[in-house]
Amino acid sequence: MQFGIFSVGDVTPDPTTGRTPTEAERIQAMLTIARKAEEVGLDVFATGEHHNPPFVPSSPTTMLGYLAARTDRLVLSTATTLITTNDPVKIAEDYAMLQHLSGGRADLVLGRGNTGPVYPWFGKDIRDGIDLAIENYHLLHRLWREDVVDWQGKHRTPLQAFTSTPRPLDGVPPFVWHGSIRSPEIAEQAAYYGDGFFANNIFWPKEHYQRLIGLYRRRYEHYGHGSADQAIVGLGGQAFMRKNSQDAIREFRPYFDNAPVYGHGPSLEDFMAETPLIVGSPQQVIDRTLRFREDFGDYQRQLFLMDHAGLPLKTVLEQLDLLGEEVVPVLRREFAIGRPAHVPDAPTHASLVEAARTQAVES
Amino acid sequence: MTARTLAVVSAGVGRPSSTRLLADRLGDAAARALRERGDEAEVVAVDLRDHARALADAVVTGFPGGALRSAVETVTGADGIVAVTPIYNGSYNGLFKMFFDVLDAGALEGRPVLLGATGGTARHSLALDFALRPLLAYLRASVVPTAVFAATADFGAADDPLGARAGRAGRELADLVAGRAPVVRPDPYDEPTPFAELLAGDPPGS
Repeated sequence: MQFGIFSVGDVTPDPTTGRTPTEAERIQAMLTIARKAEEVGLDVFATGEHHNPPFVPSSPTTMLGYLAARTDRLVLSTATTLITTNDPVKIAEDYAMLQHLSGGRADLVLGRGNTGPVYPWFGKDIRDGIDLAIENYHLLHRLWREDVVDWQGKHRTPLQAFTSTPRPLDGVPPFVWHGSIRSPEIAEQAAYYGDGFFANNIFWPKEHYQRLIGLYRRRYEHYGHGSADQAIVGLGGQAFMRKNSQDAIREFRPYFDNAPVYGHGPSLEDFMAETPLIVGSPQQVIDRTLRFREDFGDYQRQLFLMDHAGLPLKTVLEQLDLLGEEVVPVLRREFAIGRPAHVPDAPTHASLVEAARTQAVES
Repeated sequence: MTARTLAVVSAGVGRPSSTRLLADRLGDAAARALRERGDEAEVVAVDLRDHARALADAVVTGFPGGALRSAVETVTGADGIVAVTPIYNGSYNGLFKMFFDVLDAGALEGRPVLLGATGGTARHSLALDFALRPLLAYLRASVVPTAVFAATADFGAADDPLGARAGRAGRELADLVAGRAPVVRPDPYDEPTPFAELLAGDPPGS
């Protein structure tokens, strides 16, 4: 099982000091956080893609390309890559290049963004959101698997005898996860292709995500990729911890109360009861995260949101120390107990190359 | 004999509340009329005041939490709905609007609804037709022709004209509810649109 972190890349004032970092500071902080993730033994760093203030990461493959050169084993991913408003040809090219630069350490989570105007900013119509996600990915899927593509669709210029370069590393495309907060169509899409499904698992109660993941697992089996419990599931989560749980709550409360997404709404206690947010001791984070398996079945990737709502870099790095030293080693051990042998790990470049080789031998 | 549920929603904030008084009269009238048509009728009261904070939270978070979630399920699962609000500044109050704002799109499509409102004087009565009716029309609910307004003075009027109006409105709601198939909403998580249809390019809702 893989563990890691994902960043939204928000530039948010620290509510305890009123200080807002500059974009330059926030970008450097994201890079520091990603390298720290590798240092403390995490497996994955994922960046968001946003095209509006107060977010900095508009160009994920530029950032991940830099990180590829500054890390050795970290898997570099996204949360999420906009499949709706990016040209699928450019996604095919950018992420294949990243795959080469990182030596196969790149994968991506596709999503539809968090703000309506991103559609018109890129010449699209939000009413086509699902249709764009379906059509664009269908083209992306072909561009990575067929050397020469003839294609015609509704949402971009037709292609005749087009070859996307570079071709994927070792002839194996980067692994794709499809992310969704509420759309059953996206769970269906992930199941159809046998791709991964990533449930953000942050904003809403678990019952909602259970239905979404349940749908994905059922349809994954329906489309013949394996049994439902072999489907590739990733989950988000968010945690804040201190040795003493009361200290964690006291320190995190002003960040929660003023957070851009849910601030000035429910109390921290209500939100912890209703959603997977965990604020407490490392042991509480461990216990709560282990419950994800009871809620969603054995899964493949757990990403935590740790650097948001104006938390200072120093605090985030302390959180990563706790996550890497006290939480994840226990989670690795505990999640391995009772995990059926036929439940796969998250696909990596090496495992995908091996699977392709086996398939070639068999056919 | 079919078992029917009527959800009786009040956005009144006083305790005791004249809005709740009117809502109960309308709910009772509709239940009585349903029983006369041979159905069983269970009346479930939903007081939005109990969910005031949860409604504000839901506006921010996008999901109804805790007890509000049960209230939403009660209303969206009911065979008929009585919805009553006090009139503030010429329209429904904020509590009433917030409740309908947190329902999923399509949750009340085709659902029989009886509207009521309260106010200090009868001068506010047209808010029912100029404010409440368009809101429920947007939600594609089936609103009965008679909507009932109760001014403060109506609660002490001779010959109880309010009772006669409530009776007529209740019969109209019962006529819509009786004879309908029980409410079953298709669940998109149980029955997803197959991928072949998604790929064929007719986006949902088009």
